[in-house]
Amino acid sequence: MITVENLTFGYGGTGFRLRVPKFVLQDNERVAIVGPSGSGKTTLLNLIAGILTPEAGRIDVAGTDVAALSDVERRRFRASTIGFVFQDFALLDYLSARQNILYPYRITPALTLDTDARDRAEALAAACGIGDKLDRHPSALSQGEQQRVAICRALVTQPKLILSDEATGNLDPDSKARILDLLFEQAALAGAPVLAVTHDHELLPRFGRVLDFAQFREGAEA
Amino acid sequence: MNALYLAFAYLRYHWGRSLVLMLVAALILFVPVATQILLSTSERALVARGDATPLLLGSRGSQLDLTMAALYFSDERPEPVPMREVEAVWDSGLAIPIPVHTAFSSSGFRIVGTSLDYFDFRELALSEGRGLSVLGDAVIGADVAATIGKGVGDTLVSSPENLFDLDGVYPLEMPIVGVLEPTNSPDDQAVFVDIKTAWVIQGIGHGHEDVVTAAEVAAGSEAVSNAAVVQYQRITDENIESFHFHGAQDDFPASAVIVVPNDTRSATILKGRYLDGENPTQLIAPASVIQGLVDRIFRIKSLLDVVTTIIAIAAFAAIGLAVFLSYRLRAREIATAVKLGARRGMVLRLLSAEIFTLLLISTFIAAIGTAIVARNAESWVGWLLALGA
Amino acid sequence: MHALKPFLAVCFALVASSAVIAQDRPRVVAVNYALQYFAERLVGDDADVVFPVPADQDPSFWRPSIADISMIQSSDLILLNGAGFATWVDRVSLPRSKLVNTSAAIEDQFIVTQSITHSHGDGGEHSHEGLASYVWLDPALAIAQAEEIAAAITARNLASTDEVETRLEMLRTDLEDLDADARSALADLQNVTFIATHPRYEYFANRYGLSVRSLEWEAGIMPTEADLTQLRALAEETQAQVLIWEAMPPAGAFEVAAAVGLQSIVFSPLAHGAEGQTFLDTYADVISAMAEIGTQ
Repeated sequence: MITVENLTFGYGGTGFRLRVPKFVLQDNERVAIVGPSGSGKTTLLNLIAGILTPEAGRIDVAGTDVAALSDVERRRFRASTIGFVFQDFALLDYLSARQNILYPYRITPALTLDTDARDRAEALAAACGIGDKLDRHPSALSQGEQQRVAICRALVTQPKLILSDEATGNLDPDSKARILDLLFEQAALAGAPVLAVTHDHELLPRFGRVLDFAQFREGAEA
Repeated sequence: MNALYLAFAYLRYHWGRSLVLMLVAALILFVPVATQILLSTSERALVARGDATPLLLGSRGSQLDLTMAALYFSDERPEPVPMREVEAVWDSGLAIPIPVHTAFSSSGFRIVGTSLDYFDFRELALSEGRGLSVLGDAVIGADVAATIGKGVGDTLVSSPENLFDLDGVYPLEMPIVGVLEPTNSPDDQAVFVDIKTAWVIQGIGHGHEDVVTAAEVAAGSEAVSNAAVVQYQRITDENIESFHFHGAQDDFPASAVIVVPNDTRSATILKGRYLDGENPTQLIAPASVIQGLVDRIFRIKSLLDVVTTIIAIAAFAAIGLAVFLSYRLRAREIATAVKLGARRGMVLRLLSAEIFTLLLISTFIAAIGTAIVARNAESWVGWLLALGA
Repeated sequence: MHALKPFLAVCFALVASSAVIAQDRPRVVAVNYALQYFAERLVGDDADVVFPVPADQDPSFWRPSIADISMIQSSDLILLNGAGFATWVDRVSLPRSKLVNTSAAIEDQFIVTQSITHSHGDGGEHSHEGLASYVWLDPALAIAQAEEIAAAITARNLASTDEVETRLEMLRTDLEDLDADARSALADLQNVTFIATHPRYEYFANRYGLSVRSLEWEAGIMPTEADLTQLRALAEETQAQVLIWEAMPPAGAFEVAAAVGLQSIVFSPLAHGAEGQTFLDTYADVISAMAEIGTQ
């Protein structure tokens, strides 16, 4: 369960301010965040993930007060608790699909690359329909396949929360639904809630709840 | 290990760029080491040859020319020294004089006219054939045999020279009667003949048989003499009796005389005899001449070191820049890594791992190159010294 | 070559010690019998003295085979006569450190013979000065050669200095006795003219004030008619009474000479040794044969 209370955040000098009085995400819940560009959707994700630190307020992710963590602790927390899916997939061209999935294990001491992790990567890839393409580099994969790799990478660490930032934004309409379904399916299997930023209103019915972000934006009024 | 894994994967994926960087780094590491090896081997070879040649007698003039001609059979042609100087040393009873006559060449290799004492003095052993026996015989060094692909039973013709402007002096055809074991010294690059044979080439000694023309040889007949084609003389069983020398042997020339004193005291006495500036001959210690040369080489080498250092700095700066630029290209990767919770200093680790891997492989390549150079240094230096001479 | 070298001695000792297995004794090579005889007298049993020229060849014009050359090159001492004797040494590579010119000290006493002039077809004419080379036929010069050999043997430690010195004294005495005998025996022959079948006896004639004219006959064969014509002319011109044969001619040759009015004497010039005779024996025999002519 994720709980956000009385959160305030501002980017110095830009006049942008974000205030979230209360936001709760239940286990296995799938919430879409919508809102105009620049309303702070991505900023919220970054705050929850501990990439940004709030000026005030509390962010509780599965019992951890993210805002109270030190930098090192927040990095470890992020690596072990959060699964991130990006709009641009953010795959590394020099690694094979398999090594891209295992990439989180290579960049932090918080995770240990063991046989279980490798087996999980194999299983996830098979479940996502790319089990036979693990040795290909991203340049040899289609857009949809690349995003599947990115989803596998987000899930392989068995996170307690999936953050998706326009994960389907670059895909063709057919793929969007399939990829989103796949993400939900895999998150459900892992028991992790999904918090997704999206612009695709036709996808909203697939979410359990939609959060309109315009209500949290203060800077726009100022 | 994970940073190394990623660095290696990155380098392997961008193998073209990595290869160029590694080769540049390897070259920069290799060049100074290889130069150092070659130079110190050269120094050892030069100094060894100098040390192995206690004294050198020759006409007054450049000591370096005399040393280069007598020890390395170079192209320098010191003023000839008359054979009476050889006899004078014999008569002194203080040393063994070994004349060397290096004015001629054959197939690009120096013809060294000397006495049999030379072979004992340099401890030259035959790998094939026999030693010099009859006028005209030639014994060739190992490199000569390898380069011209000839051996016992073949012949060599001295290169035509017009140095002494003597009428009727033709190149001499010499049978190869022996091939020497390799020594990694200038002796490998020499064609040894008896000094009397060198005098025949010079025209001081000659036979009364007609000169053989190439056309006659080709036609299989040696009956008619014709000056229109390249001619050479040949010492045969039939004409050897007619070979003779004009004038007193005391006046015959040698390029230099290697003088092997009996002991230090004899050397000192001998040196004293040639101190007079009026004396047309000089007695020098090749070791000190060569030390002078080596010192000069090493002064040049220190300049080379500075140049190499500057190039190395520039090259490593370029490599650093290349790696740095690649990291700017990888800014997105780094941003992703941060979002995925990369540890602090991840970038630095990756960078270090990449440079470490690059340098490790470069060093390995350079080490292989160095090993090859070190293994072959002696023969290459022998070749270099002969070439440079 | 007088002051000889401890260095050489050391070298020699090293070489010799390693050569002992292959070769029992040091080897000395001489270019003629006379030098071989002197060397044998001087070195005793301490070395083998080899004179490699076969009996049927003139040592002056011998041509060694490659095997001969190899044997000579590996010798410990090579005794040259000098004075242009044995021209093969000019066409063969020999280790200078082993060479001893036994006439080095007596070059001022060499007898110059005729000049040989020739041209090479392509160049101009040039001439060679001839030297009489049978120097050992003058016992005084022979002693000088023996001294030279003794010095070389001592310098190379082929025999002990004292022993060589003693043997040299004995040889010197023998040669001096021979010289004294010859001087007295030949004293009466000052007015006798000799004809020699070959120019070999310049030093001998010079030593004892004899008059010897020379022909150029082949040794050991019957003179041809042309030879005899030449002989008659020379005999008439010189009023010679004696013909010196270089080697024993075939039977009947003495009679042919007698027909020209010449007594015959065989005088081997000792470049080769005679069977069963030493240098001194041969020389002494010739002197007594000549002395007999003097008394006739």
